[in-house]
Amino acid sequence: MDEWSSAGTWWTGAQRLAMVAEVRRARDADTLAPWESPSAVDGLIPDGHPLPDAVVDLVWRLTNHPGTLTPEWHASILGRGVEALAYVEVVSIVAQVNCVDRFADALELDRVPVPEAQPGEPDGQVPADAEVRLHWVPTVDIGGPNVWLALSGVPSELEARSRLSTPHYLEGRAVFGDVVSDRFSLQRVQMELVAARTSKLNECFY
Amino acid sequence: MLLGLSGLHQDNEVTLEAIGGSGNGDGGVRHGDLLVRLTEAMWEGEPGPLAAVREELLAVAGADVLVDAVAVSANFHMMTRVADGTGTPLDPDTDAASVDFRNEIEVNDLVSRRHVLAS
Repeated sequence: MDEWSSAGTWWTGAQRLAMVAEVRRARDADTLAPWESPSAVDGLIPDGHPLPDAVVDLVWRLTNHPGTLTPEWHASILGRGVEALAYVEVVSIVAQVNCVDRFADALELDRVPVPEAQPGEPDGQVPADAEVRLHWVPTVDIGGPNVWLALSGVPSELEARSRLSTPHYLEGRAVFGDVVSDRFSLQRVQMELVAARTSKLNECFY
Repeated sequence: MLLGLSGLHQDNEVTLEAIGGSGNGDGGVRHGDLLVRLTEAMWEGEPGPLAAVREELLAVAGADVLVDAVAVSANFHMMTRVADGTGTPLDPDTDAASVDFRNEIEVNDLVSRRHVLAS
């Protein structure tokens, strides 16, 4: 949670915590249809919200309907003033919160409490070789499967995502490098069945 | 694809039906039906069914398996959002290797289907 409450590359700690709160609101609310934006629903986004409306819409859509996203929708979010790599940082936070909260919810544990935001300003640093290649978003050619590259335009988010994946699933190199070994109490094939069913439920082709 | 590859190293045949949902058997995977039901209950988020399948898995497989399976599913709620939020296309190797079974697991019509365009 310290990472979420600290300034990132594109957003302040307060804004990042607001994203955490919006993921939770989106999951706990009556689900909107994919084509319905929270910013278009009267009273759903309070006045003075620390995030732009476009970011709140992004958080809700990615939380509740990740399999419905299209390049046109992505372009529409950027068209509302969200910088390309700032968008990547939002995706990263939303994805991480979905991981941590869904783990807690499934085991009836309390969700991680939201701390006070830490001071600091984002530095907006763009990696020198970040550019749009195969993804909708700018990436850096660091090698590896495309999903590893997805957050590479914001290196601190790539690292944060990796730090979560290793204890929940596998260390990066083992994903494709060792498809045999058991992990913790699970056989690898058990892990991949859970992974495949979760991906199918989320309507994820990748 | 990783389910298929890891399944090659099992004594019994691993099949893909279980990806389609509970009620399709265990797919040749130990506790496969319960693991799929747990995954679905996490997705749906209804406390009753979630508690029920948790208890069943706990009874037959133990707490470690329950917690580790929940962790894997949680990770893929993250990774699917990373992939689909960023427009991540399928890797060419995976694309080629998955042609034969994509129809079987009914993913070819998904909105999120993206390939690397041939250069």
